[in-house]
Amino acid sequence: MIVSETGPRDRIVGVLRWVIFAVVAFVINLPILATVMTSFKTNGVINTSPPPLLFEPTLEHYIEVLGSGRTDFPGYILNSIVIGAGGSLLAVAVSFPAAYAIARHGVGRSWLLPLVTNIRTLPLIIYAIPIYLMYQLIGLLDTWTGMILIAATISIPVALVLFVGFMQDLPIDLDEAGKLDGASQRDILWKIIFPLSRPILVAVLFLSFITCWNEFLFGLILTTKEAVPVTVGATFFVTSYGVKWGATAAAMTLGILPPLILGLFAYPYIGKGMLSGAVKG
Amino acid sequence: MTLYRKSVLTVSALAMSASAALADITILAWPGGAPEESLRALVEQYNETKGAEIGSKAELLYFSRDNFFDKMLSDVAAGSTEFDVMLTATYNVGKYAPFMEPIDDLITDDLRSVFPQSAIDSQSFEGRFYGIPTDLGVHFLYYRTDLIDQLLSDAAWQGRYAEISEEFLGTAMQPKAPGDWTWDDFMASALFFTKSINPDSPVRYGTVLQLKNLLFNVMIWQGIAASYGGDWLDADGNITVDSDAYRKALALYKRLVELEATPADSLSYEYAEANGAFGTGRVAFYTQWSAAYASLVDEEEYPAIAGKFDILHQPAGSEGIKTHFHALGLGINAASEKKDEARAFLSYLGSEEAMKMYIDGGGQPPVVGRIVEEVAGDRPDMVAMSSHAGDYGHVMAGGTSASALDIYTNQAENFTGYWAGQFDIDTAISNVEAFMAGEFDK
Amino acid sequence: MRPWIDRARFGAGMNLQQQERRSARIFLVSMCVFLALILGFPTLANIWFSFNEVTFHNLTGDGFIGFRNYRIALSDPRLWDAVGYSIKFAVICTVFEVGFALLLVFALHPLLLRRPWLTAILMIPMMVSPALMGVMYRLILNEFVGIVPGYLEKLGFTLNFLSLKYIQFTVIAIEVLQWTPFAFLILLTARQSLPYDLEEAAAIDGATGTRFNVLVVLPLIAPAIIIVSFIRFIDSFRVFDHIFVLTGGGPGNSTTSLSIYIYKIFFKQNDLGPAVALSMTLLVATLALLYFGLKLAVRRDPA
Repeated sequence: MIVSETGPRDRIVGVLRWVIFAVVAFVINLPILATVMTSFKTNGVINTSPPPLLFEPTLEHYIEVLGSGRTDFPGYILNSIVIGAGGSLLAVAVSFPAAYAIARHGVGRSWLLPLVTNIRTLPLIIYAIPIYLMYQLIGLLDTWTGMILIAATISIPVALVLFVGFMQDLPIDLDEAGKLDGASQRDILWKIIFPLSRPILVAVLFLSFITCWNEFLFGLILTTKEAVPVTVGATFFVTSYGVKWGATAAAMTLGILPPLILGLFAYPYIGKGMLSGAVKG
Repeated sequence: MTLYRKSVLTVSALAMSASAALADITILAWPGGAPEESLRALVEQYNETKGAEIGSKAELLYFSRDNFFDKMLSDVAAGSTEFDVMLTATYNVGKYAPFMEPIDDLITDDLRSVFPQSAIDSQSFEGRFYGIPTDLGVHFLYYRTDLIDQLLSDAAWQGRYAEISEEFLGTAMQPKAPGDWTWDDFMASALFFTKSINPDSPVRYGTVLQLKNLLFNVMIWQGIAASYGGDWLDADGNITVDSDAYRKALALYKRLVELEATPADSLSYEYAEANGAFGTGRVAFYTQWSAAYASLVDEEEYPAIAGKFDILHQPAGSEGIKTHFHALGLGINAASEKKDEARAFLSYLGSEEAMKMYIDGGGQPPVVGRIVEEVAGDRPDMVAMSSHAGDYGHVMAGGTSASALDIYTNQAENFTGYWAGQFDIDTAISNVEAFMAGEFDK
Repeated sequence: MRPWIDRARFGAGMNLQQQERRSARIFLVSMCVFLALILGFPTLANIWFSFNEVTFHNLTGDGFIGFRNYRIALSDPRLWDAVGYSIKFAVICTVFEVGFALLLVFALHPLLLRRPWLTAILMIPMMVSPALMGVMYRLILNEFVGIVPGYLEKLGFTLNFLSLKYIQFTVIAIEVLQWTPFAFLILLTARQSLPYDLEEAAAIDGATGTRFNVLVVLPLIAPAIIIVSFIRFIDSFRVFDHIFVLTGGGPGNSTTSLSIYIYKIFFKQNDLGPAVALSMTLLVATLALLYFGLKLAVRRDPA
């Protein structure tokens, strides 16, 4: 190391970096922090102003949210898990082979890739209405299947771009070597490319899961009771239960936890995947 | 049904409450507060008694309040069978009637002994009946008795009150008892109890307005316009929103916003936040739906105002006291495949036994005077509510038409825009008149 | 060097390559069929609706009415308010998100190099559903129970972020606070992928600290900056969730973005035809923009 941070000036800079980090971390995470804290407060404490920093935690709101049976909150969480997992797996299943064709053989690079990317640039609301009608017609309203199809659709553009970007970085010699061994394109894809793509698969799966989990608009319009995702379910508490901020906070805490935990493990993959995919794709 | 769905459903059915699988009919009802609590108890009772007798079970379904009507409309329009019993309301029965099953056969003498004709009519459109009324909505003035008592007895406060009214309203006024208030008294008192204007005020704000861009918030406000003689249409069917009455009422809210006599974030407030502001003891009085009474008297939830508030009719305008009123009810989804079970439930709902139970749970149905008198001791709000609806109730001309819901929504956007300073009053009013003309033309 | 450019060297096997390309098309089938099923029908339905008189009472349409829906939709001045709002919102948010992210990369890169796990803490907001984020801010900014006004008041400020005066600022700030981490993550990854020798070499030339960041790092991560700005602009332009939850597009229509506007004319005004016509216009407009944008990008690309 040429620039070693040991001098007094460097030490001040080092401390400054910590201060900046702490301030930024606090400010951007404040709503989440406050919500989690609120979820452990009794109603009396919530209605005290200014809010006390120390209080005796309670689980009453979680019991109300999960156990009262007035809303099917555990069901909402299950719905979100199924929709998120199903949607991201489906998105990977259809976009991974497509990315292979685009990245390794240049098929559809000029028209398909931009067209699919374009889906991401559209305000999705423009499809909400006809999809509603279509689902009503074929009985997919308020079903897991229907929501999984939507979840996959909104995940595909990013998945495709990330896969294409990643595969372009893999040396072409791999394919050539495979071909010399007499491997078919299918073998090259599944036996050579697929195992090497593990990091990007993880990134895409996690990112898609988070995207699907956090989707709100289609959940709002297309579900009623059987397939309601947790993002929509949590807003029931806000408007319907008066100022029961405690229960709302508990519902939100539960609603953000799974993608958050996943995200904490996945963010390095997401960063690398996004960068290589977006810059090159 | 696909395989994975089946298998996961089986597992989850074991893990969760399995009520969904057993339910015979689904009831889509209005979410939140006392009506929800009360209806839950009633449905439980139905399932144990009448429902069990005929082998039918009812389950409740709620959407979030914000997008309730959007969601219900797209569902019924597309012929959804997700729910069998659905919500009706005086102001949108016309809009939903084409998607509902008339229930004229349920309007029997028994039902007439429970509900007055006006309540039954509130669920009708073009001569047919669509719903059993469950909740009457009127507006009360909720006020802090401790603060008003002091204002009426404390000479120093009265002097300050005179100064403030002189400064902001141009005449030195004397405080009056809330029962005798005009909207000018409401205004003066709101300013007096606002800390930024009167540092000695024990509460931070005089009042709290709900200004989120929502149709319900226009309903709360429009009692003021009506009390000055405002209406949507005149006798000849001309649109009369561009009137002194509307302008006066719009300006009153505008003034309260500008002078910050209502919390600065009122523009994001709806029902819940307004109750929160009053319930935490930061506001001296406000006008709010009658339904709020049941939750505000809950001392555990709102200890700050326990035993310190009361309800009254709204203040008067030049044409006396007026309150918007409407009734919510439950009717039958035309697409339902279980109309007989739905009918059975509605007929139970309309019985005296069920309605008494509904009142017990905190609901406020528009029942006949005889039943109101029976519960008068426990439920002062029921007494006030039925007398207010009768004495001061006002429905805007055209307010039950098929377009009413959309007109309220348009008014909400334009009027909140005026209060927020996005439009001037002329633009807001002319936007609304243009929209209404288009709607009544359709 | 990009592998697909390398392949040009195998020009001799042109025929073989063409054959490969043809057989590789099979891998596109599943995705194309899937998207055609999910989005194809709705697109056709949208086209049909946009030329028809449709209402909630008659969802199949009453008959061809030409471009009337388009005329109604495009002549509403509130549409242009909404378009203007979305553009303004997207530009401001993008500038601040990317700007803050860049500053943070410069400030925090050395720290995060030594303690990578700290990065995770800064990533939390982007994992949260924007709709729930909106609700959370509604909770913490509420004048009576919110912790922000509560403590600001203790410090002697009476500031209400949801008030008329600040609501525009707040709606933008929420978007910026939630999505700066995304921009930060991409730019940080770009920064971290720069070789360490670079720093040593620059130090020998006397470029350290800010000079190094501006003169060396900035140009090298410029492609990442462009990409991140593009993604953030698009996402902010489509904004719906947190504004819808927080203000419902109000007061008046002062926070009505294009997405919220379309929702409103469909569901609140029940003007189905114009709502769909507007959607189709938007679809064509974004396709055209992307097409020309791509053409432009390709022309500048030496490859």
